[in-house]
Amino acid sequence: MAHGSKLMALNSQRMSILLPTGQPRIESMRMINITKRFPGVLANDKVNFDVKAGEIHALLGENGAGKSTLMRQLGGLYRPDGGEIHLDGKPVQFKSPADSIQRGIGMIHQHFMLVPTLTVAENVALGLPSSRGLQLDLDKVSQKIEKLAQRYGLKIHPDAYVWQLSVGEQQRVEIMKALYRGAALLALDEPTAVLTPQEVDDLFKVLRGMAADGHALIFISHKLHEIIDISHRVTVMRDSKVVATHPTAGSTKTQLAREMVGREVILQYDKTPYKPGAAMLRIEDLVVMGDRGQKAVHDVSLIVREGEIFGIAGVSGNGQRELAEALTGLRPVQTGRVVVAGQELTHAKPAQRIAAGQSAIPEERMREGVVKEFSVSENLILQDHGHEPYSRNIFLNFDAIAKESKRLIDEFRVKTPSAETPIKNLSGGNIQKVIMAREINRKPRVLICAQPTRGVDIGASEYIHQRLLEQRSAGTATLLISEDLDELLALSDRIAVMFDGKIMSIIDRDKATVERLGLLMAGVKA
Amino acid sequence: MSKINRRKFLTIAGTLSAGAALTACATPAPTAAPAAPGAAAKPAAKQFKIAMVCPSLVNDAAFSQSMYDAIMSVQKEMGGESALMLKYSDNVFQVPNAAAAIRDYAGQGFDLVIAHGTQYGNSLQEIAKDFPNVAFAWGTATDNFESKGLKNVFAYNPKAEEGGYVLGVLAAKMTKSNVVGVCGPVEAGDAKTFVDGFKKGVTDTNKAAKVNVTYTGNFSDVSLMAAAAETHTKAGADILTGSSQSVVGAIGIAKDKKIVWFGTQSNQANLAPETVGASQVYDWSGIVKEMISMINSGKKGTVSFESTLKNGGLKIVYNDKVAISADAKAAAAAATKDIADGKLKALP
Amino acid sequence: MSELFSLTVLTGIAYSGIRLATPYLFAALGEMFAQRSGVVNLGVEGIMLMGAFTAFAMATWTGNLWFALFCAAFIGLLMGLAMSFISVNMQAEQGISGIGMHLFGLGLSSLLFTKFLGSTKAITGFQPIKIPLLGDIPVIGEIFFNHNILVYLAFLLVPIAVWVLNKTTLGLKIRAVGVKPEAADSLGVSVSKIRYLCVSFGGVMAGIAGASLTLALINLFQENMTSGIGFIAVALVYFGGWTPVGVTLGALLFSLVNALQLWIQVLDKDKVIPSDFALMMPYVLTIAVLAFGKRTNQPAALTKPFDRGSH
Ligand SMILES: Nc1ncnc2c1ncn2[C@@H]1O[C@H](COP(=O)(O)OP(=O)(O)O)[C@@H](O)[C@H]1O
Ligand SMILES: [Mg+2]
Repeated sequence: MAHGSKLMALNSQRMSILLPTGQPRIESMRMINITKRFPGVLANDKVNFDVKAGEIHALLGENGAGKSTLMRQLGGLYRPDGGEIHLDGKPVQFKSPADSIQRGIGMIHQHFMLVPTLTVAENVALGLPSSRGLQLDLDKVSQKIEKLAQRYGLKIHPDAYVWQLSVGEQQRVEIMKALYRGAALLALDEPTAVLTPQEVDDLFKVLRGMAADGHALIFISHKLHEIIDISHRVTVMRDSKVVATHPTAGSTKTQLAREMVGREVILQYDKTPYKPGAAMLRIEDLVVMGDRGQKAVHDVSLIVREGEIFGIAGVSGNGQRELAEALTGLRPVQTGRVVVAGQELTHAKPAQRIAAGQSAIPEERMREGVVKEFSVSENLILQDHGHEPYSRNIFLNFDAIAKESKRLIDEFRVKTPSAETPIKNLSGGNIQKVIMAREINRKPRVLICAQPTRGVDIGASEYIHQRLLEQRSAGTATLLISEDLDELLALSDRIAVMFDGKIMSIIDRDKATVERLGLLMAGVKA
Repeated sequence: MSKINRRKFLTIAGTLSAGAALTACATPAPTAAPAAPGAAAKPAAKQFKIAMVCPSLVNDAAFSQSMYDAIMSVQKEMGGESALMLKYSDNVFQVPNAAAAIRDYAGQGFDLVIAHGTQYGNSLQEIAKDFPNVAFAWGTATDNFESKGLKNVFAYNPKAEEGGYVLGVLAAKMTKSNVVGVCGPVEAGDAKTFVDGFKKGVTDTNKAAKVNVTYTGNFSDVSLMAAAAETHTKAGADILTGSSQSVVGAIGIAKDKKIVWFGTQSNQANLAPETVGASQVYDWSGIVKEMISMINSGKKGTVSFESTLKNGGLKIVYNDKVAISADAKAAAAAATKDIADGKLKALP
Repeated sequence: MSELFSLTVLTGIAYSGIRLATPYLFAALGEMFAQRSGVVNLGVEGIMLMGAFTAFAMATWTGNLWFALFCAAFIGLLMGLAMSFISVNMQAEQGISGIGMHLFGLGLSSLLFTKFLGSTKAITGFQPIKIPLLGDIPVIGEIFFNHNILVYLAFLLVPIAVWVLNKTTLGLKIRAVGVKPEAADSLGVSVSKIRYLCVSFGGVMAGIAGASLTLALINLFQENMTSGIGFIAVALVYFGGWTPVGVTLGALLFSLVNALQLWIQVLDKDKVIPSDFALMMPYVLTIAVLAFGKRTNQPAALTKPFDRGSH
């Protein structure tokens, strides 16, 4: 509370001060009792949210909590079904993105809104009037971009094409677009999801600077440590409602996680001691081609042992997907060898791999992990329907299938109306649990596991993590490919970092830090 | 979502059916013929019923119109619709569509079904087998399928080279540049024989004259035909001729360049009155009359007719608006007579 | 055949090539704008037919060529608006609705022609205008500066198209909408407006392309007289890599090869080269370029309807 009133005082002092961009500040923005429905979904239920000039207000919530929907109404992309938005105490209505931009609101969407075939300057100038009437004034735009870039510490080349830029650079272009339009309030929807740790640090520097200059900032994330690091206040959303709003100072990760999930969440796992056994998965000089005919996996060699979780870190698009696909037989291997439990499986079909004791949890779970139209129980026996107990001779044993499905649904706490429900109606976390149940039930010796908790809520993630650790104790050799450093650090015994198709380095868990991994992920060899 | 899908479907269906309906309107289906079916129901005397299927519009100023005009003139001569009734489907270039129309007509009690297009031959042969009591005619062709065991097919063929030769004589007499251009469609059928006769007519008459020939590869590409005509004028031609319904493109160019055009198949003078010097006109009325009298006396086929200058199936029609010297006309008349008398071969 | 390389023949080929390129150029430049905004209009051929008919009918009845041209452009505008409505508001499958538009234009132009004109009589179309001074330069003057007004207009359109697309705020919006409509939308650019504008402009150009056939190239109307020009124009947009200059080069190349093959037929007295082979040349060229050309410039959102709700 004390924090809030101090801010108010500061604000009234600065009332007449303009932002460095020359725009007036937005002293306060309030969203009052905002309600938004989609067919069959209540996405925002009487949500109250506010932000003040100079403040970074975090919006925290699990996937599907309604955060993006709330921001899209502020950005004029959706119109509220109920409730009001006030700017500096006056009610406003945004009929279109143009309205909202014009009022000084800048939006950085979860998925970047950049045209890759245009230059940075063109992306910035898009939709703005030109000082030369019909004709573009890109030279002037570039000058202004450079001035703003200097003022806000954003490294940007106005003449570069957006498709040439890294994700971090693209994000700076998004921020530049908002600043250039005179955004006094900037809302960032999960801006760190695709960044390396160093890029996150750079972004935070920029955001702190903007807040200090009097911008109002909304920061959306579900990463607890980031919120504690950057925000002044935090609002937590759960199931389309706001469950808490309070200053960040003094909050702990455990408390925020509890508010977000609605129950106690374990953030630190108890791991049994690391006792690696025999080499179970052996990859030697593997080369795999990508979709564009480039070498996506470039001479990768590694060994995963019994009772070990071997993590692979890296920014998305550095060959992890191709590696996983090659190991599961979905993509041909160019050269090199893959040996599973002593058996050479370099060019084996998926069925041969399963027979050799390998299970897989694929990254594209809807496409490669399940048959969308099939029921939960059918998906549970997908690859094993040809064996006992599910079938005898050529007949399926429906009793056995029903019994086994029920057991797995219970054991893996799959939330589903029934075993006969089509799997596509389940949430992401529950679909992942079905895949886990099927793959782990086979008692694999090697488990290839790609992005197991992407898009999965914290509660389910926690459960999935526990099961992976259980497998580790049971002696399974697990290859865990993930872009989530927290997940890798929590589970892995050793971590390899992939960059540009190559393995930069393999580090033991106790020597791995976020900073060290981050540098390697950016291609910098320490 | 489902709402959008239905909307989408309706839009697409709407656009497509509107387009299809309009196409159908423009090409009268068997039911939309000039003569009302009701009129056919109560004939005073015995009404002779003809059905015709042709590849282009009956007012194409060329091939299809030649047959349409012939039947209309026979109708007039016989005493109007009560004596001779015509139903037709024009603009049916696609053979499968034409075959369906021919089969429909054959089943509807027509006395004579005319398949007016060389490309319809194969289909006609099969259909005629299934309707031995209906008389069929097809052209331009020389094969009446008697050798295939069919007794109910007539064939008719214009000796287009005859008129071609005569027009060639006129061109040779009139050209000043000694270059003559020919805009051909496809190197086949009466188009080819016309071109060959024309060439011979020019070179027999004027040794110094050059004849340049182009083909566009189809019967309908008007703009390529125009380009061909233009190329001929660039190459120095001051007289042009050509065959098929696509020659309107070439006639437009001839008019633009103020040079003389010679037409064939129909009288093309009305397309460009100050440009078309003369036309070889196909007059099928003699053949139509002959077929009617044969059918009435019980003969349903096995005859191959030929249109010639001699039997009046081919005529040279001058256009008074274009000045042609008496000398040229006299040479043309002499050539006509020699061909009719068999003293002169129109083909090389 | 050696005359092929004589000055007269080469001049003739170049002159005809430029003249023949006119309808392709109008239609393809218009279609290029539609496609740059993300909409494929396969109905160009149908709109051309309506434009050709309208222009011919108006020229026959009023004798005023400019009024006839205006009417053709107006019909093109109406059909372009219809296509915009179908693809933008109804979000219909663009390939199928374009074919529908083609059938509609084909059917309606034939119907109206039979109903209102019946038999045709050639009109006196736009006559060549020799540009003072430039037209007197030997060879060059003959090739470039002795054409009818529509030819000049078509080629004048090329630099204008380049300028609009690359140097104006409108062009920037068009380029953005065709690649990433949601990005343009998030910046307050109306995706619908831009697409309406581009597709309707394409319609106007297709109408004028059709009129250029009846008012300048052929001077007569016949049903289905376009015989594929509209579809070739769509192919030329791909051929030209979605740029005005590329499209122009494509149109010129196609027409020059067409002019060349006609000259080969004229000069090849002994028929060394069969006419069928000569006739294939422009099409073989088109297919080869389409098959081997790279598609890197294709607007990413081409044929994809935009709907904010689904993002
Ligand atoms: N355009 C839409 N149409 C239908 N449902 C939507 C739409 N956008 C979001 N939703 C639903 O609204 C809920 C909230 O989504 P969202 O705001 O994206 O959550 P968050 O950003 O917190 O992850 C989810 O159940 C989601 O499926
Ligand atoms: Mg979201």
